[in-house]
Amino acid sequence: MGESIKSHVRAHTVGTTAVVYAADYLNKLTGERIERECRKQLDSGCRALVIDFSDTELVNSIGISILLGIIDIAEKSGAVVVFSDVNNETVQLFEMLGLTRHVSLARNEQEAISHLSTQPALGH
Amino acid sequence: MKRNRQEETRRILGQVKREEFVGRTAELERVLAHASRADDTRGLLILLAPLAGVSELLRQTYDALFKKQGAAVPIYFALPAAETTPVSAAIEFLNTFLLQYVAFRRNEPALCSASLTLNDIVDVAPSADVEWIEKLVESYNEHRFGSDDRDFVRFCLSAPHRVPAGNPKPFLMFEAVHLAAYGSAQVPFDRELLRALASYQFPFALAGLRRQIVYAVECAGGTMDRFDSLHLELLKDDDARALVSSTARRHGVPINQETTDLLVQQFEGSPFFITAMLQAAGEKCVSLESYLSCERLYVDELLGGRLHRYFSAVMERIAPQPEIRRAIVRLLCEAIPQGSRTIVFETWRKRLGVSSESVEDILQKLHTEELVNWDGEIVDTERGPAPWRDYLRSRFRLDALREPRALVVAEVMASALKRAPVTITTHLRRLGHLRLREVFESFNSQLVPSVLFDYEHFSEIYRGAPPEEVATGLASDTTALRLPQVFHAASGVSFSTELRQFGEENSVIAHGFEGATYSDQNEVVWLAARVESKLEAEVELTERWLDLLEDVTRKSGFMRTQFWLISNEGFSPDAIALLKDRGAFGSSQQQFELLAERLRREASPAAGTPDEVELVLPMGSDYELIAANTVEQIARRLNFRPEAINQIKTAIVEASINAAEHSLSPDRKIYQRFRVESDKLVITVASRGIVPSNLNGYNRQSTSDTDTATDQRRGWGLKLIRTLMDEVEFERVDEGTRLRMTKFVRNGS
Repeated sequence: MGESIKSHVRAHTVGTTAVVYAADYLNKLTGERIERECRKQLDSGCRALVIDFSDTELVNSIGISILLGIIDIAEKSGAVVVFSDVNNETVQLFEMLGLTRHVSLARNEQEAISHLSTQPALGH
Repeated sequence: MKRNRQEETRRILGQVKREEFVGRTAELERVLAHASRADDTRGLLILLAPLAGVSELLRQTYDALFKKQGAAVPIYFALPAAETTPVSAAIEFLNTFLLQYVAFRRNEPALCSASLTLNDIVDVAPSADVEWIEKLVESYNEHRFGSDDRDFVRFCLSAPHRVPAGNPKPFLMFEAVHLAAYGSAQVPFDRELLRALASYQFPFALAGLRRQIVYAVECAGGTMDRFDSLHLELLKDDDARALVSSTARRHGVPINQETTDLLVQQFEGSPFFITAMLQAAGEKCVSLESYLSCERLYVDELLGGRLHRYFSAVMERIAPQPEIRRAIVRLLCEAIPQGSRTIVFETWRKRLGVSSESVEDILQKLHTEELVNWDGEIVDTERGPAPWRDYLRSRFRLDALREPRALVVAEVMASALKRAPVTITTHLRRLGHLRLREVFESFNSQLVPSVLFDYEHFSEIYRGAPPEEVATGLASDTTALRLPQVFHAASGVSFSTELRQFGEENSVIAHGFEGATYSDQNEVVWLAARVESKLEAEVELTERWLDLLEDVTRKSGFMRTQFWLISNEGFSPDAIALLKDRGAFGSSQQQFELLAERLRREASPAAGTPDEVELVLPMGSDYELIAANTVEQIARRLNFRPEAINQIKTAIVEASINAAEHSLSPDRKIYQRFRVESDKLVITVASRGIVPSNLNGYNRQSTSDTDTATDQRRGWGLKLIRTLMDEVEFERVDEGTRLRMTKFVRNGS
């Protein structure tokens, strides 16, 4: 869980898709870092966001509410959001709070990128 | 071996064997423990309810300490009832002190009951004690012929100070039940006694009537805080029954279960009355196997035996002059039948025809004996035990009205016989009433299945079901009703005399707050009544009760109420419809018992002590992760499945975040408790601080789509907790909040 205290968020881009890695504990602090990174990527012209949860063991409701904010921002920018590698417990939480109505889930990063390549980007 | 056994069981001052001394075991242990506190000089005040009896407790303590031959030398002195001068009492004290000290030092119990002069005591004192005792006696002889009584009393009471430093210290047990009789303008004995005791450099016990002792401490300029205290009340029912059985056996009195209960209830658990009756029965070879034989003996004792002597002695202490005593009896008797239980001071002064000071003295003594309540002006006469009221009435008829004795005896006995079955019925009803009141007093915002208050629904589901099925059904019942937090519960009769027609014990009115939130909107009054019906209660009876409760509500000005009727066999269909129409709850006795059992279990969860872990974390800085890791370890021990463990972890993270939102928390700490029971994990998360406004309606499940974004976010946390855990209760406590979450271990969960 030491990852969560790092001040930088791991991210890279594949074409116009940005892949952002969530920390092991998604809370207010780490959520806001992801949000900042996503904004940066969208401002840089990315049209799709993959948030990868492969390291994430625990999320809290504040972290989830920030994810919802990221989805809003992405929608306004005409970008698509995909969550990848989310563990079962976290999927359950996302379902409970209705997040899965707004994003697609992919088993891993590769599947997410493949999925996005078949989706047309949303226009304004 | 035989000799040792005799040593163990021998009595010195005790009037009964140790094994026959029932009902005061805890108190005996307490006094013995106090005696062993050699390094603590605090005194123990034994505050006695009238007729609760203390002599045997102190005598048993004496015997135990004497047999132990330890560091504390027991000294027991009872202020005599007959010797009413401070000087004579002081002399008696000095003699008793020296005699018992020497008896202990020589380990000769027989000396305690010997009649020895002070010079005789010097003669029998062990060589190690001769010098200081001889000096003390010489000094006594010098003081004895002085003219200052107060100085002489002080000298005698200070005798324990003369024990040399290297000697075993005395443990003085001073029984001062008759302290009120020692009023003297020249020597205020109570003050001298308190002063002497306060100066002792060893522990002591002072026993007396509670009102007298508190008054004496105040008069001596002290405060109760300086002493330890032990309250001696009348015996509880079980202890009183044990005393009746034991005393009857000792005196060879045949008795049965019914008459045992009658004696216990009629004498309200007074060891004095019970013992007096059984001693009398033993002496007169009377069997107490019927109400008739009990009441016949009672009237004999009341009009000419032990009870008569006791009350006569009390009256003589209160008013030595016969004409004043008669006037008091007349005043008390004439006040009672008029329905007016209070008499003002001025009436007392006029009717007794004595000075204000004398009336004050009389009232103070009556008040001390708890035969009246006197607040300085109004005298409430409805006090004292039932035998006292019988004594008063019989004296009034014999002495004031000059009625023939045979007539009075016959009528008092008839009255006692008529009262006997009523006494027992009242007792049985009171048991039921106490349970109803006790159940109300345990209402503390718990969530309980609402079906327990809905007879129709309950009987649809559970009629004829075996107890296990009912228990299982209730355990999985999710339709919950949150009880109020009750802060006051009393008989309905205390609010309305109209309820008396149904029996004093059949209604309870309970004041409380919903959600433990102390506001006008949350204040609620529950009015509950037991409807007496052998079958399902019919609509007429139900309506009568509801009308009555509504009438009480109107007259008492209750704003928000909840009616709850309990009938042994529930309610007829028409009665159920009426209950629904009037918004009242209706339960059968079975539902009531299930509720009581559930509340009792919650108050003292599980037999055996569950494992419990406590964790105090600072707010903020991801400390909730420590809580999550801790609970993970605990949950694993309970064999929760990994999915359930994750749910618990998320719930505790959310609960911790909630607690941290109390920005005005003074200590910025979160208190977490993890209680492991065989089938569940109970987690309590608490913090001090201000309750966030968005949590107010949490227990009503108020999270809605229309909440503001911020509220919605916090609503998510609470929603998650509720979804992830099996039971969730959010409570306001005095300063802060408490969230209790339960997760059950389920196979396959």
